[in-house]
Amino acid sequence: MNHTVLICDDAVFMRTMVGDILTQAGFEIVGQAETGVQAVEQYKLLKPDLVTMDIVMPDMGGIDAVREIYAFDPNAKILMCSAMGQQALVVEAIQAGAKDFVVKPFQPSRVLEAVQRVLG
Amino acid sequence: MNTLEYADLFLTESREHVVAVNRALLELERDTTGPNSSGAVAEIFRAVHTIKGMGATMGFAIVAELAHELENVLDRVRRDDLALDVDVMDVLFRAADILELAVEAAVAGRDGELHSADLVAQLRALGTITSNGDWTVDAPPGPGMLVRIRLQPDTPLRGVRAFIIVQSLGKLGEVLVTEPYIEDLQSEGFASDFALRLATTADPSAVEDVVRRAGDVADVEVNGDIAKESPAEKPAAKQAANPVARISGPFGAEPAEIDGARRARHVRIDVRRLDALMNLAGELVIARGRLTQLSADLGNAALEETVTQASALITELRDEITASRMVPVSHVFDRFPRIVRDAARAVGKPIDFVVEGKDIELDRSMLDELGDSIVHLLRNAIDHGIEDSEQRAAAGKPETGRLVLSAVRDRSAIVIKVSDDGKGIDRARVLARAKRDGLIDAARTDLTEDELLRLIARPGFSTAEAVTSMSGRGVGVDAVYTRVRSLGGAMDIRSVQGRGTTMILRLPLTLAVVRAVLARVADETYAIPLAHVSESIELSADDVRTVNGREVLLARDEVLPLLRLRQIVGLPEYVAPSAIELEQVVMIDLGDRRAALVVDELVAQDEIVVKQYDGPREGLDCFAGATLLGDGAPSLIVDVSSLAA
Repeated sequence: MNHTVLICDDAVFMRTMVGDILTQAGFEIVGQAETGVQAVEQYKLLKPDLVTMDIVMPDMGGIDAVREIYAFDPNAKILMCSAMGQQALVVEAIQAGAKDFVVKPFQPSRVLEAVQRVLG
Repeated sequence: MNTLEYADLFLTESREHVVAVNRALLELERDTTGPNSSGAVAEIFRAVHTIKGMGATMGFAIVAELAHELENVLDRVRRDDLALDVDVMDVLFRAADILELAVEAAVAGRDGELHSADLVAQLRALGTITSNGDWTVDAPPGPGMLVRIRLQPDTPLRGVRAFIIVQSLGKLGEVLVTEPYIEDLQSEGFASDFALRLATTADPSAVEDVVRRAGDVADVEVNGDIAKESPAEKPAAKQAANPVARISGPFGAEPAEIDGARRARHVRIDVRRLDALMNLAGELVIARGRLTQLSADLGNAALEETVTQASALITELRDEITASRMVPVSHVFDRFPRIVRDAARAVGKPIDFVVEGKDIELDRSMLDELGDSIVHLLRNAIDHGIEDSEQRAAAGKPETGRLVLSAVRDRSAIVIKVSDDGKGIDRARVLARAKRDGLIDAARTDLTEDELLRLIARPGFSTAEAVTSMSGRGVGVDAVYTRVRSLGGAMDIRSVQGRGTTMILRLPLTLAVVRAVLARVADETYAIPLAHVSESIELSADDVRTVNGREVLLARDEVLPLLRLRQIVGLPEYVAPSAIELEQVVMIDLGDRRAALVVDELVAQDEIVVKQYDGPREGLDCFAGATLLGDGAPSLIVDVSSLAA
């Protein structure tokens, strides 16, 4: 069965891009969230195999969302989507429970490698 | 993947990165081994790496290949494996240029047309790795299993990757110490490899496996020297308490203080969206004017209070939107050092280029519009203003020419100056030429700065050979003059023969909403942008003189040309209703020049929203646009820069 994915990013552009990459690799996108709050709600509802999480989002940032999801499910597999120059934030996200990261702009091969590491 | 829709974003970002590369290359060229050089190399590396990633995503093979080869060269430089001599610097500069071309070509759908094979070969030769893969960091002292790790050369966020590796090793035991310290690892303070000591009972092969699975690992070595030192040594709890191991402490338990988390966060916004917001804010400002007036007429206290409150909020909203459109001039100015360097090299003149006031902020659209004009002025200064070394030496000047670009905030205007210490404009030639063309009275023996500017800014005049070969300083000045005026600005010139020339641009901070003085003549109200107004006084007939058939005003120590708005808009002369009702004079700043504008009365000072005309108006180019006043009546905005012409 295909792995299910929840994509969290406030930019449609980024959601589309990540969605394209993962769909082509055989993943099933089961949900999308535009804010941290939505991300947490959707996670509890959908329990996806994988979450891709933007760091900066409105109302609740990605790092806080990671914290809440991780508190709800310590086995959550979360992949952070970071921009260049956000190393401190990515470190914080990893400490909060995220498993790995990819850096924007996304290269499909890198995204898929990171996904394999997170799921593996 | 359909990447066409990302092309714009790719282009914008890549351009920014190329600018960053050029800036850092210039910094490197000044000092290839100094304390800042490694930072500059790192900056170039990052920018090139990003372009590579984006190019690859977009499927632009040439861009990705170029960036990749360039990255390999930079990686060698970064590891002190390749010295930055003149030849290498030249290749790097060329690579930056070709990379920029490749980006533009790729977006235009001509990715395959660029011939970059020789450059790629050059880069490849420079980038060939000669190092033998030795570990560069010292083994941290102390107990525990020694683990050495080298990351892939193109690892993104290497600091974070290192952190993840260290954290994942935490599952097998306790990481006692790292080399460099964990804080430095996180902030990418290491070349390509790092080392650590792990207190664990796990098998070395299990350790290696965990490290490799953490990602982006090129090379791992476990237990490299522990075997030599003390093969039987097994990490134990008491050894973990060894003071050496405590220097950087164990980690994973408490998160390090992360100050980066509170750094400013940015989003990218389409300029058109900002334009739309600005327009709406403008409409709101107009509506506010009408609302304020209506509520004042009604005299309802509660209504007035609410209107005042709403009005303050609108002002705040407008200010925020205006501020969001402001960018530091460095946004555009940062391109110039490279342009100046190349232009100066092309004509073989050593030139010291200084940029002042890079942090001054200006409306994004305005800044974009200005970029080309400033390049024009810089090129003129280099090509024609500054003399070659021999001429300079003969004139007793330092051999290196000096070119200064400065931005200064002056009230609600910004003043941009391009100054050179060159030979100045040959006034005699300009005068002779102007007389020949019948542009100026044949009896004149000198030109004012005003006349000089207006002459060289005449289309066609300046490009005429007789002038350009002598002073040259006219090429494109007409274009610059027109552009600056269309932006609601004014231009001025100061030129001293043998000493140099300064071009002065004075511009409003933003295009859409400006503060203005509202002035009345007869029944009509005109708006005069405050960016050009220095003060106002009452007109006393005693201070008016006539010189050469033109009226002038004696104001303190100055003699200013006197202009009458009534005359300009074709109204009959002012007739004072009583002896005490004097006309008002608005003092106008134009670049460095001043003039006095006479109006009947000053009505108010207010924010106005500049609306462009729908089409040209016959004969009246003294207006820069129109606006709606608080009472809904239209008002014309005086184009002050046209007044003195």
